[in-house]
Amino acid sequence: MICIGFSYVLPLAYMAEKELLTISEAAEILGVSIDTLRRWDKSGKLSPIKTSDAGYRLYDRIQIELFLNDLFGLAKDWVLKGTEIPATFYCSNSAEFQTRLIRMQGLLGEIKALNQIFTLIVAVAGEIGNNSFDHNLGNWPDTPGIFFAYDTQKRNIILADRGLGIFATLKRVKPELNSDEEALGVAFTEILSGRSPESRGNGLKFVRKIVAENPIGLLFQTGNAELILAKDSNVLNIRPSQEPFRGCLALITF
Amino acid sequence: MSCINNILNKYMKIELKKFGTTLISRQNGREAFAALQTQIAALAENKNLELDFEGIITFSPSWGDEFLSPLVKKYGSRLVLMNTGNPSVKATLELLEKINQIPFTR
Repeated sequence: MICIGFSYVLPLAYMAEKELLTISEAAEILGVSIDTLRRWDKSGKLSPIKTSDAGYRLYDRIQIELFLNDLFGLAKDWVLKGTEIPATFYCSNSAEFQTRLIRMQGLLGEIKALNQIFTLIVAVAGEIGNNSFDHNLGNWPDTPGIFFAYDTQKRNIILADRGLGIFATLKRVKPELNSDEEALGVAFTEILSGRSPESRGNGLKFVRKIVAENPIGLLFQTGNAELILAKDSNVLNIRPSQEPFRGCLALITF
Repeated sequence: MSCINNILNKYMKIELKKFGTTLISRQNGREAFAALQTQIAALAENKNLELDFEGIITFSPSWGDEFLSPLVKKYGSRLVLMNTGNPSVKATLELLEKINQIPFTR
């Protein structure tokens, strides 16, 4: 892999395994507009890996992840392979997460452009992170805790866990669920009240509502499914993911 | 004034910021609810319990569900929420109303 500034040139051997994204998918993941990506292409800041026969720009998923300063890549390697992560990104318990979240809240609160929404961004990150602790307490398959990192310049937050995943935890209270995609849909859309034996589980509906009504984007992966919620959109895009893993991985853009 | 009203038992006012200004996790919400019980034990029947959100920076459904849901189920319209203009407070209250099917008195 050769990196020149913010442009990435991928070797031919790698291109055979690439997962191509359309410009709109790349824009959703990066949390920028399609026009911004077109400008980045012209300026050379981030160019598509190829152009389709019809002339559409196509990006590689890994190229996009690298562009996100590789925080996302670090988290993904951790959930996929259990690779070591820097201690600065690891929260072993919810109290540690809360402390770091408050630190992030202070930094986001200083950004004037986020004045109206920084509290919502913190709440969304808090719900996703605490969901990991609440749903896996006493049941972590191997490594307890979560990955939590953010970049206030690139305006993104990454959260991940090596827990049981949405399907396994939601199936406890909704046994009729059959797949990761189905579970993801329920988690983000269906309000479950009076849940027995546990009362938790509506935080992701809150996340969806906030993302739908604000300039905040979300990519959420669990098991073999992924969900993309574009900024200011109520459309729920759930599809199979390319690299299944057991826990959860979230990228918040703002 | 609020102190006098508290003393007269006209209503009881709780400042949520005394539990913290970032109210996020279920665990902390449960602990806050437990701590509140000693304070509201003296609340007379038919008197309001006022919860003041002034000073809260971030509020989420997990904390809110553990703290507010049992209160609204117990006190109904006697639970009065004040200074709820913060975006995360507003969004959280709307979700909790849907979950509990009980509107909050603001």
